[in-house]
Amino acid sequence: MSSAAPPKASASVLPINGSAEAVSRCIATARKPAAFALAHSREEADPVDLGRRVLLGTVLAASAASLIPPAFAAPAVDAAHDAFFGVSKILTGRTSLDPMQASRLYEALVNDDPQFATGLQALVTLIDQRKIDPLQLQQVLDSEKSPVAALPRKIATAWYIGVVGDGEKARCITFETNLTNVVVSDKLTPPSYCYGGYGSWAEKPA
Amino acid sequence: MLEPLSADIVVIGSGICGCLAAHRLATQGAAVLILEAGPRVDRGRIVTNYRDSPFKGNWMGPYPSSPWAPHPNYQPDNGYLVQAGPYPYPAEYVRIVGGTTWHWAAHAWRVVPNDLKIKSLYGVGRDWPMTYDDLEPHYYEAEVKLGVSGAPDTGSPRTKPFPMEPVAEPWAMRRFRERLAVGGYAVVSNTTARNSRTYDGRPACCGNNNCQPICPIGAQFDGGVAAATAEAAGAKIIPNAVVYRIEHDPQGRITAVHFYDPNKNSSRVTGKTFILAANGIESPKLLLMSASDKYPKGLANSSDMVGRNLMDHPSSSLTFDADEELWLGRGLQSPSSVNTFRDGAFRSEHAAFRLDFTNISQARSAAEDLIKAGVFGPELEKQLRYRAARQVNVKDVLEVLPHPENRVVLSAQKDALGIPRPQVHYSMDDYVHRGMAAAKIEYGRIAELMGGTNLRYTPDGIYGNNQHITGTMSMGNDPKDSVVDRFGRTHDHENLFIASTGVMPTAATVNSTLTGVALALRTAQHIQETA
Repeated sequence: MSSAAPPKASASVLPINGSAEAVSRCIATARKPAAFALAHSREEADPVDLGRRVLLGTVLAASAASLIPPAFAAPAVDAAHDAFFGVSKILTGRTSLDPMQASRLYEALVNDDPQFATGLQALVTLIDQRKIDPLQLQQVLDSEKSPVAALPRKIATAWYIGVVGDGEKARCITFETNLTNVVVSDKLTPPSYCYGGYGSWAEKPA
Repeated sequence: MLEPLSADIVVIGSGICGCLAAHRLATQGAAVLILEAGPRVDRGRIVTNYRDSPFKGNWMGPYPSSPWAPHPNYQPDNGYLVQAGPYPYPAEYVRIVGGTTWHWAAHAWRVVPNDLKIKSLYGVGRDWPMTYDDLEPHYYEAEVKLGVSGAPDTGSPRTKPFPMEPVAEPWAMRRFRERLAVGGYAVVSNTTARNSRTYDGRPACCGNNNCQPICPIGAQFDGGVAAATAEAAGAKIIPNAVVYRIEHDPQGRITAVHFYDPNKNSSRVTGKTFILAANGIESPKLLLMSASDKYPKGLANSSDMVGRNLMDHPSSSLTFDADEELWLGRGLQSPSSVNTFRDGAFRSEHAAFRLDFTNISQARSAAEDLIKAGVFGPELEKQLRYRAARQVNVKDVLEVLPHPENRVVLSAQKDALGIPRPQVHYSMDDYVHRGMAAAKIEYGRIAELMGGTNLRYTPDGIYGNNQHITGTMSMGNDPKDSVVDRFGRTHDHENLFIASTGVMPTAATVNSTLTGVALALRTAQHIQETA
């Protein structure tokens, strides 16, 4: 019944590109919409490039531990954050990730699933020891009926969709800065944000 | 709690049909009271709810269901609309001030003239108790109110031009138009209530690509605008007023309606004329709930047709990757369609349809699909960009025929106020399946013309729904097989009218809103002329 005192109607007041009150809680602790344009790949995307992706995957998989800055490895909490950061880079395929966003996603994942931190360590160990190509990772985990098989999707969903948890427990942690919006930000604005002046969408995508 | 409530015109439901009928009557001097079951929610809140929603693909997500005025939500499923089968009918509608047109793609189509006589012409469905020419002036009145634009050549004659030019065509739609023309397809602008210029105090579209679930800037007409329009004309809206009974006198005239507030305190509202405008599911529910000794089957139901002939528009679709970068998501969501399959002799054999091209950004759904497929590492971003650039979709919006066994009834399950939930019985016939098969052939040709690869057809027999609730209070000349007459007056109750897409005898092939509004305006005119 929390909406029993509904806000005053403002149908006659039409904010251009969303009013201040319409700025998402999702970003309130992190950044403004203007910060969407993190670095992203501009390379042409080919549908399949197997040889190259296996090579890339192997290189990245080999470096899970090395991605963790040694200076932060000491306290257990920091180590867990760092492990998350390292695995996130491998799964997302991004060479740079926002640490603050990483921190928020990690906390949300741990809050959603008390076993997450333990599972994460197991996943890190597995990737480090076996140098599994990230493109093959899910298949390997599924075929081995690994107890951590659900983790890669949870982590990738947190980064790319900005959502942690399922069903009633699902929470939006990021929207404007989720990686889906970031990696297409040279072409698209996040839905609900103005593309540009009237008719600008008629032009060929630059 | 409240002083005695009374009005010349009492409207049940503050959606687009109720509010625009109310606007017309209030403008002409009537005292109009609108009772809305749900709360008042403003645009800023709905936009925020969207941005915060963990289910961005769930267009009901930003519209919270109230305990006292629940509405369907499927993600997670709140179970409100009880499914009796055999085919699922997961209808979406919004019970807040302004109603379900908060949540639409602003499609504001006219039917084509032959849609009103498919029984006579093709031996299927029902004829309407009016001609297209009867409806035409009301269509135009509705178009001016909503701010409608569209292509001139979609089969619906008009006596006056559209109030404005169509919204600028997105690049992707231009490419569809150019490349499909080679194969004989005419891809044209959809007919929509979306501004291509400042209109009625609302701005032109700036391409937020969020028409559904909410336009953040009010560039398209929506439920909030409808409610504000009615209120500006002097109509009074009472939110959180859940009507649960319509009362009649011994002669069958309606004397009052009764509503609960969220705490189940009851109030009675009297009036001279009553307009039921609570959508194609909640309206028949209320009529059935209002059964009395004199009307044991419910009000307006001597024909036993209340709740029957439930229709909507099912859709199949084809998703594929075009051979060029199109980047859906730039500009409006639903700009273009093919209208050449909406009528023809084939309608005696299979359903007619409109083909519709989405311009909704594919980025999120592509990311979800890739993650589901376990694509991680650099390939995830690479394939995400590839799909966001090239993934496209064509779907049909297909006519279903009225069948009495497809219906809304009262469930034994109750909501928090103790009011029965609606229960739906729905099925798909071979007329639909044959129409879908015909559409599928067109999908394949379209994909070929676009250099399509990675073709993903929806499974045969599994159709999406379009939330165009029609038929449940069908209009007709014969009181034995229809609920209202050609002016929307119930056959059984002289002063009870229905303003709803639910009065449409058939569903045609286009989104039902504009037709519902045109009929509601015709009803309002008739009320005024006969008062």
